[in-house]
Amino acid sequence: MKKAIIVFIIAAMVLVTTGLWIYSTKESLKFFDLLSFGVIILVVGFALFVGYKRLTSAKRGEPSEDELSKKVLLRTAATSYYISLYLWVAMLFIKDRVNLDTDELLGAGILGMALSFAICWLIFHFKGIRNE
Amino acid sequence: MNNRIKEFRARYNLTQEDLAKRVNVRRETIVFLEKNKYNPSLKLAYDIAKVFESKIEEIFFPDN
Repeated sequence: MKKAIIVFIIAAMVLVTTGLWIYSTKESLKFFDLLSFGVIILVVGFALFVGYKRLTSAKRGEPSEDELSKKVLLRTAATSYYISLYLWVAMLFIKDRVNLDTDELLGAGILGMALSFAICWLIFHFKGIRNE
Repeated sequence: MNNRIKEFRARYNLTQEDLAKRVNVRRETIVFLEKNKYNPSLKLAYDIAKVFESKIEEIFFPDN
């Protein structure tokens, strides 16, 4: 239960910080900024979804983790690690061809890693794991 | 692997939540087991068999 509440607090802080950043920026937002904001919303939405599931499990008196959830996490971590490797290789390839700052590239890479983790988790969570 | 968890649950009049609590897993895990989306560990299979007072091979069996 405590973990779920912490997830909600962190998600709220990220949303507030991002909102303040967008509100305070005096220049008009570029496409990349909007895209980053969209990805942040998706990742925060994912965190909220996970927090909500933990909360409902705790209310039902179920354990917050069991063998299936741990296996899903393991498989997600492994798959998203491989995806992230290829992502960074792709970033190295495009960095000279695209007019982006180093900060923007790094931010895109980090967001890409978070997004790949979230997508992999959702796929394995709903598809299941038949470990044969 | 396939299983007859749903059949045994009906026989013992247990909901998915009841079974989940007895074997200390989440209800989701029981749902996934019944839909054949997950193969349990040996311990979980044993615990489920114990709840239904049966042998593991009476509840779980290969696909073919």
